[in-house]
Amino acid sequence: MFSTLLEQVVNGIVTGSVYAIVAVGMTMIFGVLRAINFAHGEYYMLGTFGAWFATDYLGLSYEASIVVGVLSTVVVAYVVGQLVMRRMVGAPAESGVLATLGVALILQNTVIFVFGGGYKFFSGGYIEPVSILGFTLAEQRIIILVVCLLVFVGLELMVTYSRLGMAMRAVSQNVECCGVVGIDVPQVVLRTFVLGAALAALSGVLTAPVNVSVYGGMGELITFKTLPIIIMGGLGNVRGTFVAAMILGIAESLVATYIGLQYRDTVGFATLILMLMWRPHGLFSTQARF
Amino acid sequence: MSLTDTAPQARRRDLRIPLAAILVVAALAAPFIGTRYVTHSLIIALIFMLPAHGLNLLVGYTGLLSLAQAAFFGIGAYTAGLLAVHYDTPFYVNLLAAGLVSGLLALPLGIPALRLRATSFVMCTLGFVIIGQAIAKNWISVTRGDMGLSGIPKPYFELGPLSFTVTGTTSFYYLALAVAALGTLAAWAIVRSPAGRNMVAIRENETLAESLGVPTWRYKLIVFMISAAFAGVGGSLYAHYLTVVSPLTFQMYYSTTMLIIVLGGGAGMISGTVFGSLLFVGLTEALRVAPEVRMIAYGFCLLVLVFWFKKGFAPLINRFWNAIGGSK
Repeated sequence: MFSTLLEQVVNGIVTGSVYAIVAVGMTMIFGVLRAINFAHGEYYMLGTFGAWFATDYLGLSYEASIVVGVLSTVVVAYVVGQLVMRRMVGAPAESGVLATLGVALILQNTVIFVFGGGYKFFSGGYIEPVSILGFTLAEQRIIILVVCLLVFVGLELMVTYSRLGMAMRAVSQNVECCGVVGIDVPQVVLRTFVLGAALAALSGVLTAPVNVSVYGGMGELITFKTLPIIIMGGLGNVRGTFVAAMILGIAESLVATYIGLQYRDTVGFATLILMLMWRPHGLFSTQARF
Repeated sequence: MSLTDTAPQARRRDLRIPLAAILVVAALAAPFIGTRYVTHSLIIALIFMLPAHGLNLLVGYTGLLSLAQAAFFGIGAYTAGLLAVHYDTPFYVNLLAAGLVSGLLALPLGIPALRLRATSFVMCTLGFVIIGQAIAKNWISVTRGDMGLSGIPKPYFELGPLSFTVTGTTSFYYLALAVAALGTLAAWAIVRSPAGRNMVAIRENETLAESLGVPTWRYKLIVFMISAAFAGVGGSLYAHYLTVVSPLTFQMYYSTTMLIIVLGGGAGMISGTVFGSLLFVGLTEALRVAPEVRMIAYGFCLLVLVFWFKKGFAPLINRFWNAIGGSK
């Protein structure tokens, strides 16, 4: 009984790590652009497809497929960033919703058009179970946990110390002042966007061996999972996003085990609405930032 | 030009009334001009026009971006469907009930949602759609889950001794046209009333409106309920037209379609919403000629809309309307 609970919590933390890596990109993009990126899950999907293409068609190893998946997503994200995201600086919220939805439709359906809509089998990765401290976990899940921690430590350092990180914080505070002091706002937006998309792709490639199936519509589900997370974590808040992702991952895992699998995909938004009634500005903010 | 120069300019005639007459005739004659498929597309456009009008009141006039419209559309569809299947009630009862139930449910949902600002509000309203779908899927004893409600009877009327059933596509077109026309009139009456001006005041500057004595909270809540009622009425038409309601009625795609109609037509303009529903339903239907690239093309259309028609088609409609108005 207790061990099932603990096992589900550990599983939840792994799922939470997957969401966290996707959501942190989305929340950083929101920070600099003030727009919800409804296409964010599609970069997760693109990364997975890139890796699947590399292992299945090109016969590359899993490690190489990670590189292929992330790099191909970076290329797509750069093009989308140049053509769409850069123009969204200062645009009203509703244009952001429509533009990113348009991008989501294009990316998702192009992949379906090229590779077909059916489920594909992802064969790479390390799925051997190992035993640590009495838990049995697939190696891949441990890799996900470690990568997630590395990503967050790296982001924390980058946001605090690097030039781009400082520019990102500046843009998320005041776009006009950034223009005045000579920060190239569209360039910061573009770089943040490509970084966020690359993280989503990385998350997708890391999860593929666990999820096994790869299909064109998978990004949409991830978008709907990460939307409540970034609101709960407080928009633009990197640490808050991490905590919110863990909460959601664990909550989903517990709901799936103890209440019913069919309710799992609703947990995010239900938790979000309950939390918003209690703290309208996110878990960690005392006042509205956006 | 000197003051004495009074050479008469050629006066252009006011063509607005003739054009309006032509549009009315075209709307009435449409089922006999186009094919059955065109009539079907027009019915879909008319059905979506209602929730779009509701959303326009919310987004275009009060300035609240909501994605909840599909949730209330679904609630309306299920209300009408359940009534028709279990109690065999006439169409107008189902329609009013759908509007009422959606509108009243918007009260408990709107109270927590409207306390939120901007992005949180958008996400909360999107949550209503996701949760609505989960309820429709899992409350099997009422909604029959994923199988959906099927066998919803065609709308029938019972007016005293007279009773008739709307069966064919053509007659359903006239029914939808009548409901959509009434809905358009209702929306027009709302925005032309003093309340409509207060809504615009809230959109432009909520704090200022509040300080001028507009009860902004009550206004926002009531507009949220009215927009839900519009969606519910649209949902009842949808249920009766398709004769099936499934949990997929609750999907973000419908909410965004309604948003595209409002923003594409031109937010804050009744004629824009009418035009938008015809244009965007027409566009989705027209893209069916190439089913494989349909959604890709639709995505590109959205980008074109956002970046090249920032205010939708409203400025074009306005310019056209003024141009045919003749010289004063």
